[in-house]
Amino acid sequence: MSAFNNRPNLYVWIAILLLGMGVGVAGVINVLLNGHAQVYNVTREIPWGILIATYVFLVVSSTGLCLISSLGHVFGMKQFEFIGKRAIILAILTLLCGFGAIAMELNHPIRMGIYAITSPNFSSAIWWMGTLYGIYLMFLCAEFYFLMRGMHKGAFTMGVLGFTAAVSAHSNLGAVFGLLEARAFWHGSFLPIYFIVSALVSGCALIGMIVYFNHKSSGAPMPQKYRDFMDSLGRLQILCLMTLIFFVIWKIIPGIYGHPPGKYEATMAIINGPFAFNFWFFEVLLGLVIPLCILFPKTTRTPVGVMYAGLSSTVGIFFMRYDLVIVGQLVSMREGTAELVDGLLQYSPSATELAIVIGSISTCLFLYTLAERLLPLDPDEY
Amino acid sequence: MKNKRFAIVLDTDRCIDCKACTVACKAENNVPLGPDNYRNWVVTGKLRGSYPNLGQSFIPSQCQHCGNAPCEHVCPTKATTTNPDGIVHVDDDKCIGCKYCQTACPYNARYYNEETEAIDKCTFCTQRIYAVPAQLPACVETCPTKVRVFGDLNDPNSEVSLLLAKNPSKVLKPAMGTNPHLFYLD
Repeated sequence: MSAFNNRPNLYVWIAILLLGMGVGVAGVINVLLNGHAQVYNVTREIPWGILIATYVFLVVSSTGLCLISSLGHVFGMKQFEFIGKRAIILAILTLLCGFGAIAMELNHPIRMGIYAITSPNFSSAIWWMGTLYGIYLMFLCAEFYFLMRGMHKGAFTMGVLGFTAAVSAHSNLGAVFGLLEARAFWHGSFLPIYFIVSALVSGCALIGMIVYFNHKSSGAPMPQKYRDFMDSLGRLQILCLMTLIFFVIWKIIPGIYGHPPGKYEATMAIINGPFAFNFWFFEVLLGLVIPLCILFPKTTRTPVGVMYAGLSSTVGIFFMRYDLVIVGQLVSMREGTAELVDGLLQYSPSATELAIVIGSISTCLFLYTLAERLLPLDPDEY
Repeated sequence: MKNKRFAIVLDTDRCIDCKACTVACKAENNVPLGPDNYRNWVVTGKLRGSYPNLGQSFIPSQCQHCGNAPCEHVCPTKATTTNPDGIVHVDDDKCIGCKYCQTACPYNARYYNEETEAIDKCTFCTQRIYAVPAQLPACVETCPTKVRVFGDLNDPNSEVSLLLAKNPSKVLKPAMGTNPHLFYLD
């Protein structure tokens, strides 16, 4: 904690985050004053834009942090125990900032609070997702409280409940997309399962970064125990990345095999269409291949290597979320729609949408930086 | 209302793509200006054949008032429900603007109305069909070539029932299992 004092880099970092938050606030004010239709680029045919993608990115990060940290205080893998507090507080913050992003996409977040309780629709995946994420947030907060108090039994119980809620809520998020028969690219049981796997990659990536930067900021060399942990985390990340690659391959092949209507056009948009650069450069190269190239050789599977792999994966995963959300809507529901380009609808985020994305991610990082500074997050500081 | 099941039967061979139905609907239902704001539309079919033997169809459409409506299943707050008369209805006060119904609808029948601050779509002009004396929906009444016929499927002698009894018809995207109540004569 004290390690943050008198470090100029910290002030530069905070200044950047404050700037990002300022941009976000400007975006929020703009949409509150002018309305969604005027300042967002979402349309009748593509009603979900980059704010939904950012929500998915942030809550996937939260789930991943919860799942990976539960290896320690739920599943008893000693090596993972010491990351508990950091992982759980970041899980809480990513979830809250995710809620913030989706609140800005919803036209009536306050009505949601009322009618989700007084008029619930149990057949709606969004209702289940919201409810389960709410329960998940409560368990996370309780778990964090017990971890901070050093009450390990309580932390274990809340960890088990949090793990269960995380898997339920997150698979339901996949179901929000997967249950839509109208959207061939999303429909099916694939996405709920895929979301869990990709959450594990997100979790490993973020934990690698927070452990590395926490020690980097202290200025002290990383103890051997932590170096060993980073090596184990790197190995675990290899497994998660390989599994994710397997999922990506099996998402693509049924999308092109036999040209299934709707699914084929969307899949081709990412392989060889308007989203091809996003897919091949960000998703495949940055998200999957570069991290694996860093993590496979023992010589580069160092703490800094694991951090870089995590950073690369995190950037790639953001584009995975963006592409998943947007590409699923590119195929028009109606033949003869006039605005099609090469048979597909068009979407690119507006400046206001981007500002809110920057704001939500900056807020999350800022709050985490504050938490590092104000809370005793080291494992031995109860 | 309970013993009715409203539907529209369309004969697309009659459509001249004048879009009077869209204009009438916008005027009747206070649909805001803007390219995304409309409750009904006309799809321009592909040009068939080669010169001089050419053909083209125009396919007017709107909310299908599905018997198995995906929008109703996905709405988290039950803002969308199906009335006993088959009309799929949006309760503006309950709509949270999540747009899930927009992504769920296979017909792209829905848009967000910035003026009513809720999702909006065809209502079969409820305010007209239940008026005394009853009127036809604006799109039906205004059509110069009588493409659309509106009526009650539960009445075996209604014009829609007779048309569907005497003519083969189809619905849009039957594979979606939505059980649409807009019928297109073959």
